[in-house]
Amino acid sequence: MGQRRKVGSTNTPSSQSESADASKVHSRKHNICMVSDFFYPNMGGVESHIYQLSQCLIEKGHKVMYNQSTATTCFHSLPLLRCVFVRERITVVHAHSSFSAMAHDALFHAKTLGLNTVFTDHSLFGFADVSSVLTNKLLTVSLCDTNHIVCVSYTSKENTVLRAALNPEIVSVIPNAVDPTDFTPDPSQRPPDRITIVVISRLVYRKGIDLLGGIIPELCLKHPDLHFLIGGEGPKRLVLEEVREKYQLHDRVRLLGALEHKDVRGVLVQGHIFLNTSLTEAFCMAIVEGASCGLQVVSTRVGGIPEVLPEDLITLCEPTVRSLCAGLEKVIAKQRSGSVPSPTSIHSRVKNLYTWKNVAERTEKVYDRVAGEEVLPLDRRLRRLRSHCGPVAGSLFALFAVLDFLFLLLLRWLAPDRHMDMAVDATGPNGLWKENRKNSDAGC
Amino acid sequence: MEDEAFSNISGKAISLDCQTHSSFCREFTVSSPKMSIGKVMVYTCSVWLLAYAVFFFTENTAVLSSAILITLTGMMLHIHFVKVDHESLLVIGSLGIQVSSSYASGREVTTFIEMSRIKDIVINEAVYLNQIIYYLCVLLKEPSEPNVVSSVVPLFQSSKPRLNCLAKVYESCQEILSKCQ
Repeated sequence: MGQRRKVGSTNTPSSQSESADASKVHSRKHNICMVSDFFYPNMGGVESHIYQLSQCLIEKGHKVMYNQSTATTCFHSLPLLRCVFVRERITVVHAHSSFSAMAHDALFHAKTLGLNTVFTDHSLFGFADVSSVLTNKLLTVSLCDTNHIVCVSYTSKENTVLRAALNPEIVSVIPNAVDPTDFTPDPSQRPPDRITIVVISRLVYRKGIDLLGGIIPELCLKHPDLHFLIGGEGPKRLVLEEVREKYQLHDRVRLLGALEHKDVRGVLVQGHIFLNTSLTEAFCMAIVEGASCGLQVVSTRVGGIPEVLPEDLITLCEPTVRSLCAGLEKVIAKQRSGSVPSPTSIHSRVKNLYTWKNVAERTEKVYDRVAGEEVLPLDRRLRRLRSHCGPVAGSLFALFAVLDFLFLLLLRWLAPDRHMDMAVDATGPNGLWKENRKNSDAGC
Repeated sequence: MEDEAFSNISGKAISLDCQTHSSFCREFTVSSPKMSIGKVMVYTCSVWLLAYAVFFFTENTAVLSSAILITLTGMMLHIHFVKVDHESLLVIGSLGIQVSSSYASGREVTTFIEMSRIKDIVINEAVYLNQIIYYLCVLLKEPSEPNVVSSVVPLFQSSKPRLNCLAKVYESCQEILSKCQ
């Protein structure tokens, strides 16, 4: 049902001295549990965010463990989650993504268990259709007693605050990051006799693939040396294949299919222009990766995208075929005249904008703040639910909270905490592995 | 030869008996608690009361006799196939590992793993029902591919001792294994 992964780090002398200095600022190390439905092997923005953030936090001496599951509903995950939280001595539960059922479950149970909670929202939502109305209600209930919320951009913060009716003071903005060493420019990979436009995204409606289907024939007619390189997979692949068929563009539009994260750089460096056609986006990692590889970026002006890159590195367009074509034409003309900055100079500007180290430091501050706050006791939690989420949903979820608490009491009686073995830290500050690594290669 | 108080994962007391036959040969025996008379009573009574309730409405005596049969065969099957009295692990350096479990009825199941197939003995953790437990297991390898773990044999499967007990067995097993390598 679940798959767990625990990661630790060996403390080098330098990081020990660092943490000694830092201990004046934040006195204790946290045991953080990251919860999300999304994890390796399907790598996307959320997955790599969790992975990279965890790695950086481990370097800072925190203990991070990760929890993932595919199908859970309300109560039956409590025993297992409680076991994980108790065994690993978790102090902060950090849930990711509002699409993840398990993230909401874990938040709910963690509050029952009296642990501090943090939630990161990775996506934007509308307010109009039925699915977003329901998700927004769930989010309101789930977040109304969560200690702190993290959003990836200011647009996303605004969106989340409105959707979940939150106090903006407990919402922080911490952007995503890219690993600049993974995305370095290499102009020698570019074919000299043509201009290549790279698109890397999932081929779904949200990413504006229909717009792309309109742009391709129009630009290909005007510029005979223009080539498209499209990476990604999804239901909208059909649209692109139809366009390719209809205008006989087989040699100029290449569909690469699903790409692994490590192959993305190899595709990016082959292009001159990176095109993003998303219709909604909280924070676009892809355009940062594109710019980091030294490409000119053309993107739609939606969601949090205008915040991401400085104005001279990105060309923003309205999400229409005409506006995007005009934007692309302008960049193509610049590219031909050679008046664009060199890939290396773009890379050196982007590489310090978004680093995981910075993200980890800011997240750490959130944890420090949260650890000092008290978790609402049951009676106040119920009152908050009732007053915050409307009489019907509030009462319903207050009932759930009470049932969850009773279930927890039952579990504590059936299987007391003292019967659980505390997890042994293999590595990390008090790791056992250092001394007996020699006798056990794969154990403990 | 030592006896110390250990408990299994649900908090029941078990005992671990370590016998050192020679420096290369050690035997560990984990004994589970005996079947409690109270538990037997509860199960028997609940089956009989249920049968009596059915009998009260149907007035068919076959219900009562089948209830008696069910409890008797159930008890026999339980002690023959389910209830393990003690499990032992005999480690003989240079020769191999013998794992045996003896059931409450006296039935004994023994398997032997030769040294050339053993890669290592480790403590691993696993999701077991709704909890996460530590268990001791033997990693096997194929002699043709010495670096690949081909399969895993969990030890003390029915008694499920807690970590402190496992660590003790693990340490002395490693002592023997490291000597003969």
